[in-house]
Amino acid sequence: MIERTYIIGRDEVPCLVRLGEGESLRWTIVALPGTSCRLSIEIDLDGPGASVDLAGLYLCRESEDVQINVLLKHNSGGCVSRQLFKGIVGGTARASFDGLIYVKQDAQKTKAYQENHTILLSDKAVVESRPQLEIYADDVECSHGATSGFLNADELFYMRSRGIREEEARRLQMISFISPVAERLSEDLKAEIYDSLA
Amino acid sequence: MNDVLLEIKNLHAGIEGKEILKGVDLVVRRGEVHAVMGPNGAGKSTLGAVLAGRPDYKVTEGSVIYDGRDLLAMAPEERSWAGLFLSFQYPIEIPGVSITNFMKAAINARRKAQGLEELKPAEFLKLLKEKMAFVQMKGEFAKREVNVGFSGGEKKRNEIFQMAMLDPAFAILDETDSGLDVDALKIVADGVNALRTPEKSIMIITHYQKLLEYIQPDVVHVLKDGRIVKTAGRELADRIWAEGFESIND
Repeated sequence: MIERTYIIGRDEVPCLVRLGEGESLRWTIVALPGTSCRLSIEIDLDGPGASVDLAGLYLCRESEDVQINVLLKHNSGGCVSRQLFKGIVGGTARASFDGLIYVKQDAQKTKAYQENHTILLSDKAVVESRPQLEIYADDVECSHGATSGFLNADELFYMRSRGIREEEARRLQMISFISPVAERLSEDLKAEIYDSLA
Repeated sequence: MNDVLLEIKNLHAGIEGKEILKGVDLVVRRGEVHAVMGPNGAGKSTLGAVLAGRPDYKVTEGSVIYDGRDLLAMAPEERSWAGLFLSFQYPIEIPGVSITNFMKAAINARRKAQGLEELKPAEFLKLLKEKMAFVQMKGEFAKREVNVGFSGGEKKRNEIFQMAMLDPAFAILDETDSGLDVDALKIVADGVNALRTPEKSIMIITHYQKLLEYIQPDVVHVLKDGRIVKTAGRELADRIWAEGFESIND
């Protein structure tokens, strides 16, 4: 199991990884506020039983430009890939996620899942999400989902009605939104991220 | 100390340009329990939402004085710090936020606003356990995400739990009794009755009189088409039960 956390701008993210039989990889990629980037990653699952668990978080609060491209190739059967990318985009920032899942004709019993969810904090922020599936095998289980929206007004009022200040209520909502990715991170990095949401 | 806690005068309010409250007048004195009854669509929940400061409801006319202050000028969190509490008819789910963290944020926000230090973890835990026992919630409850996967009864008990934690001076219960079985109803009623003191007031919004068998109101109002059409003692609730809302017109 190769387990790693990459902070874009601090760490070099490999652009191509090939996994052989039974190998597995668990990556978490983080773009902290103030980071603009153009990131392209290709992960090839070349041997049976290989698996990828890829999560990403991008926090763009001002005028960042974040572009993330993921190409996930199921070249061999019996492999599993999971992707979860979450973003919070405010100010005049732009964030895009392109994710292509490619399943080769003889890559039967493939399982591939991909999700990309974003929260917009301003009317001027722009998010794009382009999930794509290219499947040539017939015995596969694949799903992808993408959502984008604003912080939930009912949640906000509920918290404020209990005495939680509006800014703190928003921060709690953001922490809640990113928690499925944030829980993979070290306590120090989590604290750094939570502080940046204030 | 002024005897009157809440004074609503000629309150007009609505949502998305539609007027729902059309001139509500109502006075709540300290220590009183008021019941606001009325048919569906009369504006009962709107009244609760406007008093708690829900932003999408707009007040177009009238005034609300709470404890000597202009309630309508206060943000929802300021109203909470001033002791106002609304038990939601449909409690909101907040995935990813535990009950513990939610209540810690709420209590410490108020303490900060009052110039007090944050509650020490041990003190907070003691309070949490005491109030959980009070609404008969088990240990794992504190770790659960707020209202996520809760049954209808659990959501209402969670509202009463939050009320007990925040110990409000004025509690509004919006249809807290709807959809509850008798056991849950008793837990809710015990929670409310424990709050009854000579200084505190309660407004129970309901369209059944069932809850009023457990919590005896001092004053009963009938709200119809955005106005209070009748105000009387608890015997009014019995009359509504026997005759229905149609017979109550003035």
